[in-house]
Amino acid sequence: MKKSLTLIALGCATVFSANAEVRINGFANFVGGVTSSDDTVYGYDDNVSFSDESIFAIQVSGDINDKMTATGQVVAKGENDYKTEFEWAYITYEATDNVSVSAGRLRLPLFRYSASKDVGYSYHWVNAPRAVYDVAFNNLEGFRVDYNNYAGDWEYGFQLAAGTINSEIDVPDATGNPVEVDLKANNAVLLTAEATYEWFKIRVVGGRSSVTFRPAVLETTFAQIPDNIADALRIEDDTSEFYGLGIEVDKFDWFVNAEFTEVGIEESFSPTDTAYYVSAGIRTGKFTPSITYESLDGEGEIRFLDLVAALPEPFQAPVGAAVTGTQQAFFDKYTVTTLGLRYDMDTNVALKADISKYDDDLDDTADATLVRFAVNYIF
Amino acid sequence: MLRTDPYAGAIFYLVMRGHMLQKLMRKTIIAAITAFFASNTFADVVVIVHPSNNSTLDDRAVKRIFLGKEKKFSNGTGVTPINQADNDARDTFDSNVLGRSSSQVAAYWSKLIFTGKGVPPKEVGGDAEVVAAVAADPSAIGYIDSSAVTGDVKSIPLN
Repeated sequence: MKKSLTLIALGCATVFSANAEVRINGFANFVGGVTSSDDTVYGYDDNVSFSDESIFAIQVSGDINDKMTATGQVVAKGENDYKTEFEWAYITYEATDNVSVSAGRLRLPLFRYSASKDVGYSYHWVNAPRAVYDVAFNNLEGFRVDYNNYAGDWEYGFQLAAGTINSEIDVPDATGNPVEVDLKANNAVLLTAEATYEWFKIRVVGGRSSVTFRPAVLETTFAQIPDNIADALRIEDDTSEFYGLGIEVDKFDWFVNAEFTEVGIEESFSPTDTAYYVSAGIRTGKFTPSITYESLDGEGEIRFLDLVAALPEPFQAPVGAAVTGTQQAFFDKYTVTTLGLRYDMDTNVALKADISKYDDDLDDTADATLVRFAVNYIF
Repeated sequence: MLRTDPYAGAIFYLVMRGHMLQKLMRKTIIAAITAFFASNTFADVVVIVHPSNNSTLDDRAVKRIFLGKEKKFSNGTGVTPINQADNDARDTFDSNVLGRSSSQVAAYWSKLIFTGKGVPPKEVGGDAEVVAAVAADPSAIGYIDSSAVTGDVKSIPLN
């Protein structure tokens, strides 16, 4: 896939040099944050840091012909030491006024703000609520079909996306050091439907894929337990499902929006995550104060204990402990309450500040208070 | 046009006391009244198209065109919206026709630009440039202060 991405990038470059109509846009989020003493959250600690959420990006797009556009976006993220990456590179074909088809590496339309998640200027938060938005599978290599139309006062649209997801997740190894583990999802299919009536918007999304994710640290454990139980726990070509619902009321002077998502792999050690946020704000002149409550519940029932119960008695206790421990290690349950303020300095610059209280329901010592400030710029 | 700056006002309040205060307050009130009437006259923005354009347009169609949701006129010809660069006509158009502040319109477009889903309308500087661009292009649509309308373009009042 890397090769084909390079080809698309080269294709873009060739097209751009041959065509006068090249658009260069960019955005920057300069985000700083500091936690209350001795706390850590989202990579921040009690020393002011600017590298955890800052992002700089440049996008180049050009028209290949009347109906085709090539787009490439290069992103440098603070959390990756500002190493530049081709976040997206794709070609869009406008089949009709209502239908467009994009192919290449593109953003998976999981959430309301998926497409512009990196563009801080596009929303009122310092960053999109992590309980919902912090998933490891944001980009897709494949294609996406967009259909948009309207009937009377209602606007509606559908998106179908399909392809492969290649991503990495940091998992601590036996000594506690984070190790990048590949996450691969084949045959990913996602369908989104959206309807808007002036101030009201509703969005539903559902998808599934076949996931493989095998941290080495777990394989050590799996080698010591019966094969049928190891297979049940292991994520290898297992079906994952994703569902989401989004609702938004925007009366200009005030707005309320909420998203609810559920993601899980039934036949695995990984618990099903249920997450939501509710956010409300008012717009008074250049200021947008807001409050956001988010919650993630990834504390499930311990699975496969029936398989453990079928083992000969002497094995039940040690295998049971391994099965339970493996699953519990991936449990997560927390809520975050955030008070935020956005100030529109100009039509391309916004200043923001927020304060978040992070409550961990499984580990009280992980509770934290975080203060962040941000400058969002687009050009 | 007079503009009042509330922050400058606050600082002045602290710096100048006594008899100066009354004078200042009177000035501020006059400035506020001037700004009020001035902003009302700005509301007189009209949409203009090429004289040969026979399509029907209403507020909603214009809104959809300037938000990139509609790419054709009602008569089926392609449409090229022409925006104004940051000025009073733009502010009035954004808040009255698009129903958003200029910052929100910018945020709306940032969502589309960075997902390859749309390209914002071209911007030109001032009413005269909009008139020139619309007069030269049968597919163009723009908006200007009603006082700037000439015989080269067809104006469409918006309710």
